[in-house]
Amino acid sequence: MANQTLKLGGGLPQDGDAICVMKAGKLRFMKPNKYWVESSQKRYVPSAGDNVLGVVVDTKPENFLVDIKGPALAFLPVLSFEGGTRRNIPKFEVGTLLYVRVVSANTGMNPELTCMDANGKAAEYGVLKEGYMFESSTGLSRALLSSPPHPVLEGLGKKLSFEIAVGINGRFWVNASQSSTVILVGNAIQKSESLSLVQQKIYLEKLLKSIQ
Amino acid sequence: MKEEEEIEMVTPGEVLGKGSEVKAGKGAYLSPDNNTVFASLTGRRSLVHPSPHSPDQRPTVEVIGHKAHGPVPEPGCVVIARVTKVMARMASADIMCVGSKSVREKFSGVIRQQDVRATEIDKVDMHSSFRPGDIVKASVISLGDARAYYLSTAQNELGVVSAESMAGGTMVPVSWTEMQCPLTGQIEQRKVAKVGA
Repeated sequence: MANQTLKLGGGLPQDGDAICVMKAGKLRFMKPNKYWVESSQKRYVPSAGDNVLGVVVDTKPENFLVDIKGPALAFLPVLSFEGGTRRNIPKFEVGTLLYVRVVSANTGMNPELTCMDANGKAAEYGVLKEGYMFESSTGLSRALLSSPPHPVLEGLGKKLSFEIAVGINGRFWVNASQSSTVILVGNAIQKSESLSLVQQKIYLEKLLKSIQ
Repeated sequence: MKEEEEIEMVTPGEVLGKGSEVKAGKGAYLSPDNNTVFASLTGRRSLVHPSPHSPDQRPTVEVIGHKAHGPVPEPGCVVIARVTKVMARMASADIMCVGSKSVREKFSGVIRQQDVRATEIDKVDMHSSFRPGDIVKASVISLGDARAYYLSTAQNELGVVSAESMAGGTMVPVSWTEMQCPLTGQIEQRKVAKVGA
């Protein structure tokens, strides 16, 4: 590792000439020179480009204040919607669940959100109606969003029909025609975090048999 | 101009003289209802004789000298402030010194996005100009609103004077827009003040 310019990510601060580890987790490496520590925790650190699930906490003249499980409330400008003008500002009640994208998240400032993708279209962003939101850890959120797909998610998807939205901030939302399905899917996903791959398969088989 | 000092303590609301006989100076005001000059501060009453050339030959009465009077920011003066909060369109700062004197009570100031620099004011990124904890030299534009003075750093000599890097070291200015940390060598962006001759 001699004479290389390294890019240090989260969990690896520089102390003079030495690099120390500040978080417990897996040391990850991406070519050519990026290192970071990946760990799973309940706390979310906002970063630009993340897709998160936020809950509206307050409305101000210029922004909605949205809680995204970070250290500070995030601001969602009232015009950051597709075709948003001063005349058609959406009216969100306190407690509305939104699927939003983090635009900027500088340290010391409140993160800024948007309900549009990079081209200005609504894409999938916006209000999530009905269904139920579950809390998870950031590690589980990453696992649910990874490809190949999460085994429990794939297995449940083959037998049941539901829709799911995953926020990288440790929240996911499930909706189905019957509330028993929502509860089943939510609990199964939350339980699967502490199981290994083999245990997940066994758990999934038992679960699907019991639904029949 | 000779100063006549009477050792007479006055408090706000006390009558200092008739509007026809005296002019209201610092710490005093003229009430239009009954043409009387009242004191608005606590302190010693002092009479300042007018210069013989001025057309108005009334002496000016002032209220001065009380220990609790600290310096107060006025439009046009240069202040030293510490940035407390940085937001998308403005930064809040606590004014600590007016000129070279430190203030007795806390004053709040606000640096708006359009007052950070003189060129390309709509493309200013507040996060690349200030961070919480920076010490900045700014000039007071106006008394602002009820909450804070309006400050400006839109000159070469104004801007961040001292800042701490994310690693904790006091940074050294490298250019008008960058400062470098001596511990890690990382460059951080600030609106740097031009210090020195």
